[in-house]
Amino acid sequence: MTILNITYQGQSADYDLDIDFAATDADIQRIAVEVVRSGGVRGLHIPELAQNAFHQFVVDRLRSPDGEQRIYLRPKVPFGGLA
Amino acid sequence: MTTKRIVVCGVGALGSTAVQYCRNLPAELRLVDFDRVESKNLAAQWFVKQSVGKNKAEAARLQLANFYGAKAEALGVRLAATNAAQLLAGCDLAVDCFDNADSRIVLSESARAAKVPLVHAALAADGTFGLVRWDERFTADREDTAGQATCEGGEHLPMIGLVGATLARTIQDFIRDGIRHDYLVSLSGCVRTT
Repeated sequence: MTILNITYQGQSADYDLDIDFAATDADIQRIAVEVVRSGGVRGLHIPELAQNAFHQFVVDRLRSPDGEQRIYLRPKVPFGGLA
Repeated sequence: MTTKRIVVCGVGALGSTAVQYCRNLPAELRLVDFDRVESKNLAAQWFVKQSVGKNKAEAARLQLANFYGAKAEALGVRLAATNAAQLLAGCDLAVDCFDNADSRIVLSESARAAKVPLVHAALAADGTFGLVRWDERFTADREDTAGQATCEGGEHLPMIGLVGATLARTIQDFIRDGIRHDYLVSLSGCVRTT
């Protein structure tokens, strides 16, 4: 089992995902849209979420401190200076 | 605890915010930024009106000294492949608060070559999300479009504060115990990821 963490519009939530840890970024983005639309992600239920909502998002695959496989779907973070 | 030397690269929104929270660390701060403080920066960066027009590294150094009696070194230069080794020399930790992927990549390559631990901090364009991540797990994200607009009026200041404080705590943990934690920072909380 892999944990998919989705961060969208400032909210972040986990979803238990039965998927290969090495699934493609496109698969992760597509699945995330489905689970957020369906209400499967607690605190992130958006029935009308656009199909391309996560198109520009980044997929990180990390292991948590206790060895758990975790996939993070998150916005890009290009900024630090905000000049 | 022995005194460490920390180089902070980029003293804009995240860098200046983190620096003020690092003022009581047993560390010598080296601040690197070529840019100057503009009036618009006061909305989202740790600078005061009297600093407008000054180099950002020098302005932060002066504020640390004048407000808190904390010492720092200011280097008003642009970090590049040609001077990175010199800027990192003698440092126990490098901190990336740059605002563009190219500079982040130069710093990563230089820190790896010099074997200086490096931690990155970064913000999303809409101010709803940020992260703090050590270099071994970090990949620089590029803007969706060149020159993408972001925090013009200071509306992201609370998130800048959250990420800057998280970065300062990450630096503190490393300086004190050598621990390297990563964090995701969103409006709903701060999640440790390693």
